[in-house]
Amino acid sequence: MPGGDFHPWIFFILAFWILVCGLGVVAFKKVMYSAVSMVFCFLGVAFAYAALSAPLVAVVQVLVYVGAISIVVIFAIMLTEVQEGARDQFFNKQTVFAAPLAIAVAAVVSVVLVSGQVLHVGDKALTPGLHQLSALLFNRYVFPFELISLVLVAAMIGAIVLARKEEERS
Amino acid sequence: MNALSWWLLLAVMLFCIGAFGVLARRNVIVVVMCLELMLNAVNIALVATAQFRVGAPGAGTLFSLFIITLAAAEVTVGLAIVIANYRNKRTVQADQYDQLKG
Repeated sequence: MPGGDFHPWIFFILAFWILVCGLGVVAFKKVMYSAVSMVFCFLGVAFAYAALSAPLVAVVQVLVYVGAISIVVIFAIMLTEVQEGARDQFFNKQTVFAAPLAIAVAAVVSVVLVSGQVLHVGDKALTPGLHQLSALLFNRYVFPFELISLVLVAAMIGAIVLARKEEERS
Repeated sequence: MNALSWWLLLAVMLFCIGAFGVLARRNVIVVVMCLELMLNAVNIALVATAQFRVGAPGAGTLFSLFIITLAAAEVTVGLAIVIANYRNKRTVQADQYDQLKG
């Protein structure tokens, strides 16, 4: 049974929710419906983090994904007003190869996981609290932390430069 | 199947849905959304593995936070490229982006 500090049915409800909303992102023809489906999928993933007793990740997921990234995506959809395409505009030509590939990868990894030969659950890891996490973040993982802040600044500048209107060169 | 396998199964399914969307959908914005689904799947696998296996303490949580941050940066730059391209080509269909074709 799926483990964790919760009733196993909660896992199945969450998994159903996440997968159905994920399929909705791929399957909805209207882009705005896809975006709304994506928001609900992210929300489900946040609940999954909470069920996995990682409350900090759950809160950050809601803040960054459900809050920020969804808004950026919806803004992009509204700025690019997608014309209603015909049915043959919906999927690419390579769908014929993409669908079997995705199903095959899922099937192979599922068989490996169901056989249960690969992973053994060890002793239950003790989840570090918020205090311990912040101590780790600013001691052991301070270099990736600083590096990521640099990446964020670079991305911000890059996005502004890319999306800015070209100025007339006189 | 043990407790961890179920969560990894969910992650694999979500990853494959996202991968299919990235490969198959024509609209670039939907492609970006499906990329986010794939990143979320990886994050689920990370957090679940950190929960059920003893390793470096806090690494699972912190690295998933790093991934979320990088995903935010990636979305910003990706959608900026989409909007800049839309200004020139008036389209968001991936197969009509052919400016680099020789």
